[in-house]
Amino acid sequence: MIAIRADRGRLWTVLGLLAVLQFAVRPRLGYPMVAPDFLLLALMLYAIRSRPGTAALAGFLVGLAGDAVVPARVGAGALAHTLVGYLAAWGRAVFFPDNLFINGLVIAFGVWVRNVVQLLASGPAAGGLTMQLLVWSPLQAISTALMAALVLVIFQRWLDIRLET
Amino acid sequence: MAPGSDRSLSRRDNALFLLCVVLSIAMLLRPQFGNQIAGLVRLSVLRPFLWMQERAEQSRTSRGAFERLRAERDSAAHAAQFLSSLRDENQRLRSLLHLGARLPVPYVAAEVLHQSLPTDGRTLILSAGRNAGVRPFDPVVSAEGLIGVVRAVDAERSLAWTWTHPEFRASAFTIPGNVFGVVGPALQLTGSEQLLQLRGVAIRDSVPSGTLVITSGLGGVYPQGIPVGTVIGQGTEETGWERIFIVRPAANPENAAQVLILRSSADTSVARAFASDSTP
Repeated sequence: MIAIRADRGRLWTVLGLLAVLQFAVRPRLGYPMVAPDFLLLALMLYAIRSRPGTAALAGFLVGLAGDAVVPARVGAGALAHTLVGYLAAWGRAVFFPDNLFINGLVIAFGVWVRNVVQLLASGPAAGGLTMQLLVWSPLQAISTALMAALVLVIFQRWLDIRLET
Repeated sequence: MAPGSDRSLSRRDNALFLLCVVLSIAMLLRPQFGNQIAGLVRLSVLRPFLWMQERAEQSRTSRGAFERLRAERDSAAHAAQFLSSLRDENQRLRSLLHLGARLPVPYVAAEVLHQSLPTDGRTLILSAGRNAGVRPFDPVVSAEGLIGVVRAVDAERSLAWTWTHPEFRASAFTIPGNVFGVVGPALQLTGSEQLLQLRGVAIRDSVPSGTLVITSGLGGVYPQGIPVGTVIGQGTEETGWERIFIVRPAANPENAAQVLILRSSADTSVARAFASDSTP
């Protein structure tokens, strides 16, 4: 299990950096449906270091921010991120060993679950869910997981993670 | 940590989680309440982040679109060689028919600020707002065709519903103009292609595949002539009182990087359109 003793200041710096990456770098990557979701990555990194209630609240706030910029169905994003934050915090004892591959896998699963919950809560729209859930969401989950691996490797001292080599 | 304290923390966790879920569901059930909160968040906390994203989008599109714009400029320069003679001819024909000058449609160019959420594309944040003259219900188009309509405007940005939004509707007709109907998204839970439906077509009318559908101008929101899509087949209508045609859209909001917001003509004088008729 990850030792939760990271310096909070350093953690917040990494989270702030991810928020900036979401708005300043992500648009430059192109392919918005596939590009990594830095905000969800920040939420997962925060959630695995927090109590479930705090993680749920953080998820709610991140989701609300998402609903504010894509208000197709306000509340769907807040609900999806709340669930992902809460589950990530509860599951950290089981699912977050100090293994880069497992960390990436869990973050990818978090992205996919967020997308499933948000799409279902938003109701039907043109195009249906098949393409979203089977093509675009897995691709976004993979790109986010790869970015997570990069962040964990670069900031492992700051995040106080002892990754297996 | 003492077991009692742990239990109390666990209770607090569950209470916080339930509170967040209840608030989310309340926003889902009361869209007005949710939209108010979303608007406040957009205008306060997210404002610097959206500014940052706008700069990033401009940087990306300006680099990526340079070659395309140069090619388009060359084509436009070539076409413009014949423009003055065409304009003179058009003016002569209109005056022969005692028609006034055609009303120009003013527009504002805007960048699309795409987000990482799976519902991105149903609504779009555009980088032009009230300061640029954008108002609610202004149509949004791309080079390919109709994208949607502006629903909310703040000083620097606006929010548009695209044709994929469940509540989108537009009056349209088929070329050569014999079949009218209302276009809306083809709502479905399964499926892999985003499609539109042309509903409300009289049972006696039929439309062959490949027919172009454009906006009719009825309703006063969308001007006439914006391409909506191409008919690819007929849908099933359970009651049997109308025909439904499936339309492949001309423009995809998820891929749109730059759009034009057509400013409604309310602030444009229409006097020129009536000049030849009303002058004694």
